[in-house]
Amino acid sequence: MGALRLYWTLVSVRLHGQMQYRLPFLLDITATFLGSFVDFVALAGVFSRFRSVGGWSLGEVALLYGLAEIPFALKELSLCGYDYDFFAPLVRQGQLDQMLLRPLSLPMQLVAAEFPLRRLGRLSQAVLVFALGLHLTPIAWSAAKLLYLPIVGLSALAFFAAIDITGSTACFWTVERLEVFSLFSYGGAAMLSFPMHIYHVWLRRFFTFVVPAALVVYYPALFLLDKPDPFGLPRLLSFLAPLAGLGTLAAACAFWRFGVRHYQSTGT
Amino acid sequence: MVPGVRTSPAALWAAASTYLALAGTNLRRQLTYRAANLAGLITNLFFGALRAYVLIALFGAREQVAGYSVRDAVTYSGITQALMSCVAIFGWWDMIRSIRTGEVATDLSRPVDYFWYWCALDFGRGVGQLALRGLPLVALYVLAYRITSPPTLWHWLALPISLLLGLFVSFAWRFLVSLTGFWTRDATGIGRLAFMLAYFFSGLLMPLAFFPDWAASLLRLTPFSAMMYLPSEVYLGVVRGPGLAAALAVQALWAVALYALARVVLAAGVRHLVLQGG
Repeated sequence: MGALRLYWTLVSVRLHGQMQYRLPFLLDITATFLGSFVDFVALAGVFSRFRSVGGWSLGEVALLYGLAEIPFALKELSLCGYDYDFFAPLVRQGQLDQMLLRPLSLPMQLVAAEFPLRRLGRLSQAVLVFALGLHLTPIAWSAAKLLYLPIVGLSALAFFAAIDITGSTACFWTVERLEVFSLFSYGGAAMLSFPMHIYHVWLRRFFTFVVPAALVVYYPALFLLDKPDPFGLPRLLSFLAPLAGLGTLAAACAFWRFGVRHYQSTGT
Repeated sequence: MVPGVRTSPAALWAAASTYLALAGTNLRRQLTYRAANLAGLITNLFFGALRAYVLIALFGAREQVAGYSVRDAVTYSGITQALMSCVAIFGWWDMIRSIRTGEVATDLSRPVDYFWYWCALDFGRGVGQLALRGLPLVALYVLAYRITSPPTLWHWLALPISLLLGLFVSFAWRFLVSLTGFWTRDATGIGRLAFMLAYFFSGLLMPLAFFPDWAASLLRLTPFSAMMYLPSEVYLGVVRGPGLAAALAVQALWAVALYALARVVLAAGVRHLVLQGG
């Protein structure tokens, strides 16, 4: 309870600071909203000509987009401290040394370090597109689906968080942020917002069995939409989301603890 | 051209060599960021491939859509990825930053014209990006996909002109956006929005021709399509004969119009600019 109250105090300081400059803040949040929303708008704009992408309707793709984007935006908003763009400078400039000396756990300091409200822009466009998807493609709801939907969201959140934590841990050794992790996170989110079966077989296999991105978005979406797997893999894959999400998060956290133990300051 | 003073051929030559030297410095600077360029190249390759898969899936069994074959569409995804860093489609913060920090005072007192100073620097940057990220990407695309190449000698001749006009229009737009900093001091917020506009209407996300016909014909006429969409269509050869000439004309018109506008706004801005001390 104490931890939660402390978290809230720290975060509300960040929120208060951001509201001081009203106009720049509004411009920023609008730009963030549009920056992601245009991806979907461009697809919707050409849909009258094409009518489907890999056999999926616009509504179905919108739902998939929401399933990938909402957890991703939540991760960006709440776990910004583990964002390697934010984290790498802490290592490079030596601020991490100070943080390690404070009488507060490092994860707590990191999650409370930053709460960039402008990223609400990305979250709101994701929710909007998901709502549009629900409107265009009514899901045949069942108790199982209603129960599973939040689990899928949390699993995807855990998965995206795991990528960031892994990327940040790598900074302990590389000091600089590694571009390849942006490819996994931003590229991953972009890839997941389309049905996985349109990609090359190796790309698909890699992002299903090595980095289990498809297990937290695409396969659960097949279940929600009552679609069979186009490659005839067992239906069980649709229900592995929590395992994939928590599994990758646990592995990332273990790597993180290993990294913290072996952290050597840059000396700045 | 540069107002008034420099009229003799010798003076013009001196000015031109100054700007060439400026462009050269910035071009060489690009070469030093090897790791960043390589990482950028991999990112371009990944997003280009992603776009190509989406376009292939959209085409499905269709052979031809709005004058594009599947192969054209795949080529398009590569060409736009190759051009995007050259025309800085995600934005450009150098000038905005120099206004915020007050460096603009030094820049304005240099014995070179402020517009052409930034233009020279940006062409150095743009040509560097084209050489380091654009050409290797097209080469990799040639290996990975069967992409098309410009169909006629006319297209080959038009391509460099179209690319230069595209870079110039893109620069003039970014210069205009950055100039708002003369009034607001920090143009970061306005920049984010304005660059977003260019990003969306540039055709990076989808070939503009795939939008409904009425929208496509309007979108072709904006300065944003002049930046990289029209050069891409020149490369693909989807514009032919009078269409090819029209594409170049649209680019040239925007180049002149934005240049004239930039001159007017710059003159007003310099009168208005209040510098911070320090």
